[in-house]
Amino acid sequence: MDNLEHRLVRCFSSVFPGLNEDQIRNASVDSVPDWHSLASVTLISVVQEEFGVQVGLTDLPNLVSFSAVQNYVQHHVTD
Amino acid sequence: MKLIDALAVARRPVAEDASPLKVFLACGFTPLHLETFLAAALSDRSPLERVEVTTGLFGDLAGNIERVEGEGPDVVVAVVEWQDLDARLGIRRLGGWRVEDLPDIVNSAERTMGRLEKAIIGAAELTPTYVSLPTLPLPPLFTTASAQASGYELQLRLCVSRLAATLAAHSRIRITSTQRLDEMSPLASRFDIQSELSAGFPYQLAHASAIAELLAALIRNSGPKKGLITDLDDTLWSGILGEDGVEGISWHLDQQTHTHGLYQQFLASLASAGVLTAVASKNDPALVEQAFDRQDLLIGKKSLYPIDAHWGPKSESVRRILKTWNIAADSVIFIDDSPMELAEVKAVFPEMECLLFPKSDPSAFWQLLRRLRDLFGKSILSEEDSIRLQSIRAAATLPGSSNGDTTSLDSFLRDAQATVVFTFGKQKDDHRAFELINKTNQFNLNGKRLNETSWTAYLNDPTTFVMTVSYEDKYGPLGKIAVLLGRVQGTVATINYWVMSCRAFSRRIEQQSLRWLFEELHLREVHFDYQPTERNKPICDFLSSIVGAPLNGDLRISMASFFEKCPPLFHQIKATANG
Repeated sequence: MDNLEHRLVRCFSSVFPGLNEDQIRNASVDSVPDWHSLASVTLISVVQEEFGVQVGLTDLPNLVSFSAVQNYVQHHVTD
Repeated sequence: MKLIDALAVARRPVAEDASPLKVFLACGFTPLHLETFLAAALSDRSPLERVEVTTGLFGDLAGNIERVEGEGPDVVVAVVEWQDLDARLGIRRLGGWRVEDLPDIVNSAERTMGRLEKAIIGAAELTPTYVSLPTLPLPPLFTTASAQASGYELQLRLCVSRLAATLAAHSRIRITSTQRLDEMSPLASRFDIQSELSAGFPYQLAHASAIAELLAALIRNSGPKKGLITDLDDTLWSGILGEDGVEGISWHLDQQTHTHGLYQQFLASLASAGVLTAVASKNDPALVEQAFDRQDLLIGKKSLYPIDAHWGPKSESVRRILKTWNIAADSVIFIDDSPMELAEVKAVFPEMECLLFPKSDPSAFWQLLRRLRDLFGKSILSEEDSIRLQSIRAAATLPGSSNGDTTSLDSFLRDAQATVVFTFGKQKDDHRAFELINKTNQFNLNGKRLNETSWTAYLNDPTTFVMTVSYEDKYGPLGKIAVLLGRVQGTVATINYWVMSCRAFSRRIEQQSLRWLFEELHLREVHFDYQPTERNKPICDFLSSIVGAPLNGDLRISMASFFEKCPPLFHQIKATANG
């Protein structure tokens, strides 16, 4: 697991403390019952703070899984 | 604190038997991360409590506060933002920013502030209430360029200032300091427009964390220090008294020694607020006496007691001063310009905070003053604060009772013309009683403390009683010096809390208090919720002297055994009821 993925797992774990690492890597809005709108806002806030990125309003609806958030962060951190 | 850390702290497990701290967070916006940060900051400050934060309805700040009920939260936190005063002062509603709208916005905000004032004061009657007033920049609705303050903007700020001053005058309301918040959180980095638009949460994370930290510091604060011991040469004044002479020492602008004058002024301020201030100096005592005769000193020798000047180690002075004050080293700050002297005192009193006086660094000096204000800051001053030093001076004239010389003590007490006033009554805003319970260490039945929440709960319990004790003799008043909290069932009383200021020792006030309880409440027996602590030997010795044996957990004293051991009492008694 690379450093970025490790940090992202930690972000997800802070918002969804009941999930283990495997569940986090496979997490999505559909598979995690607790991933409601409030949790989504908290998750994105934690990710923004951790990686120093600003998620645009139009990007928010697309960040519905761990892999989607990971791709977003990889793209914007390396930019 | 970062949000990821706050989430972890807020979810940290606490002991099963931890007492709950129920916080009602009233705000008009989505509480979101402020709720998390507040829970985390309180959990950090009070790890033995289970912090439970609840919130109200979106967009109804005043209504949320008005709905607070007596048996509800332990603490109410009201966080006010501009849009709570009038929705047009926010950005989520499009009510209009035309020129003709501005007077109505100001009038409407004024009316809302009137409602908020009433609601917050109403909540404070039931529950300690903590308030943060608008912290965000106003939106660009005024017609002036940003460099110019608009008249409407100034009217709004004036109204908020009036509201703050009115609320701050209430004994159970605390307002967060805008100055402190300005230091912690720059104005330009507070507003998160995207978060406000998408989630109704207007704060940047760092700003939410700063507000939560400030509120938590008000809700769960450590008590202020009690005493300050200062050096003289190159500290209270500039120069070495033994070398420069009485006229050679200075503290003025024209001699570039003004920080010493500010320091004197600051110490005089502390002393006037009831902080004990004393001097520990390696100096010629006669020369020190002459120096304190200078009329231009900003702190007189009346405010400094004792003044201990000699050529021995400073720790000897500190030991004597602590004995005179009768307080513990961890309640005292020692200040000196010499790192070596600080180290010597610290080695002997490791629990004492020893601070360097930065005589050549004005910036560091400024930080020192701010640090001292934080260490000695009090929410409210009491009458006792103004007479504390006077009573300690008077105590120095008392003959010792611990040396067995009861004859001279009897004689002294008979001649003292002492009056003890017992007051029964439950007053939530009796800050002196609350303060005594939370800062008294030596004559303290069990070391248990009460926060504002548990204090209120105790007072609201109809089975409890509160007795406070005030004292005065021909040497001056001591003010309110003792508090007993307990319950009476038939002819038996159980004392849950009993504290008495160390300034009141050796006057047989403790015996008089028990005598009064036995006689006035027609008691056959008193049970004590006694627990030994590291420091409560004085009350342990007192109670042991009545019991005639070492104390155990189940401490009961009968009327017969008390009166058998009670020494002669000479006080005049007054009794009052309050509340």
